[in-house]
Amino acid sequence: MFFHIVLERNMQLHPRHFGRNLRENLVSKLMKDVEGTCSGQHGFVVAITGIENIGKGMIRDGTGFVSFPIKYQCVVFRPFKGEILEAVVTMVNKMGFFAEAGPVQIFVSNHLIPDDMEFQTGDMPNYTTSDGSVKIQKDSEVRLKIIGTRVDATEIFCIGTIKDDFLGVINDPTTA
Amino acid sequence: MSLANLPQHSSSSSCKSSLDEEFDDDTEVDTDRSRKRCKEEDLGSIEQTQGSGSQVLVEENSKSSRKKDICAHPGSFEHMCIVCGQPVDDKFGVVFGYIHKGLRLQNYEVDRLRKIDLKRAMRHKKLYLVLDLDHTLLNSTKLDRMTAEEEYLKSQTADSLQDVSKGSLFKVDIVDRMIKLRPFVRTFLKETSEMFEMYIYTMGTRVYALEMAKLLDPRKEYFSDRVISCEDAIKRHQKGLDIVLGQENAVLILDDKEDAWTKHNSNLILIEKYHFFRSSSDKGGFKCKSLSELKSDESETEGALAAALDVLKQIHTTFFHELEDNQRDVRKGCKRVFSYVFPSKFQADAGSLEQASSDSIHSAVKLQTICCGKAT
Repeated sequence: MFFHIVLERNMQLHPRHFGRNLRENLVSKLMKDVEGTCSGQHGFVVAITGIENIGKGMIRDGTGFVSFPIKYQCVVFRPFKGEILEAVVTMVNKMGFFAEAGPVQIFVSNHLIPDDMEFQTGDMPNYTTSDGSVKIQKDSEVRLKIIGTRVDATEIFCIGTIKDDFLGVINDPTTA
Repeated sequence: MSLANLPQHSSSSSCKSSLDEEFDDDTEVDTDRSRKRCKEEDLGSIEQTQGSGSQVLVEENSKSSRKKDICAHPGSFEHMCIVCGQPVDDKFGVVFGYIHKGLRLQNYEVDRLRKIDLKRAMRHKKLYLVLDLDHTLLNSTKLDRMTAEEEYLKSQTADSLQDVSKGSLFKVDIVDRMIKLRPFVRTFLKETSEMFEMYIYTMGTRVYALEMAKLLDPRKEYFSDRVISCEDAIKRHQKGLDIVLGQENAVLILDDKEDAWTKHNSNLILIEKYHFFRSSSDKGGFKCKSLSELKSDESETEGALAAALDVLKQIHTTFFHELEDNQRDVRKGCKRVFSYVFPSKFQADAGSLEQASSDSIHSAVKLQTICCGKAT
């Protein structure tokens, strides 16, 4: 799920960046540092939308670096257990399939794929129902439910299922 | 009478609802077992009196709440169970890093997947084939180890990476090597892909393995993600079938090195080493000029790969058309079909490396036809 929240961070700035463009340098450094990172609490920081407040800079003892506390608004993405998400399938194999929803990698094991879907190998491996009406292959869009999440420094991993009602393929790339 | 019925009725409904809730958590095995258990308990409670009927209800409720917490954790992805999503300890089973980073499965889960896949493979009349890269399908040499007489090859590779499917000589800078594909390899792969599900299993690094897969299979139709490198193997310098998702009695291995497969000798088909570059034949102990320096190559239609293809076709036919269902095992019957024969001494001069190789192949092929004739 996406959230628009206010986060705070202390940015260290080297004196070479002081001058007329101090604020711009600070903001660009913040963007470089924060966009694309992950934390367990907030999830994946997608983009910074605005700066709320930049506090007074404190010079650090011993070095010439100055520390600014910045409050900024940003869009974060964090998957939750139990959440229903739409994802795009990236790889299909005998054990299940991998899908991506933005920066999140989701694995759906074949235990959590409906029993009537069988794996078919070939140059486009896929899971198909016995009558061939529903097919899950690379680039298919699926609706899945998250049943577990794990966050590390730059990526979020999830386990998903499509065995519940209303889950499964949304869009078949071959017919689209 | 109605009171006696009540506990029995509610116990069966609680049994069903707990099954529904747990459908996501339990493995298939667990749900089958729990269904059977519920049936037995239902039958038991019919015969009991009212007092013990309510006791059965209490027992079943505690059993089903225990079942909810128990997930067998058949595998993990990035330290999370793939069935229930709970964090799991990562010290079990087999790592399947070549399929995707972070994937790990329990041994019984691997067996279960193998059985399911075997049924599918049998339906499509396909066996499994594990192929080695170096000296089997291709020969590679480090760019700085090429001799002066091999320099002419560097000019031949200028455009080859543009259209991979047409060439057989490539200069791959990412791994700093010159690669020569074995003659007949493209036909070999095309024909074996119709009879086998194929794996690459090399002792090289993953980067090397993936680059070679791109050269051999540019459209990803033969191997797809089934490329195993030394980083995926459990033991160093030893190859094993534990990370291959195929039942052992249906897996064939084509490799030039016998001691890499000590645990699976009966699945192995030994092929003669392919030495094209000077550095490779030097390592192999040959003192004569290499094929690259002599500007010649192994025969395409009478080379080792063509012979290996015939052997594989024969095994495939025997397996599917001649053996009974319960006897189907590639390791039995056609045992030692392709016996490796190489003359212990050979003349190092007169460009005889090629001559010696074709001699040995012919004698090996003869041996093979004798063996197969006796297969029952």
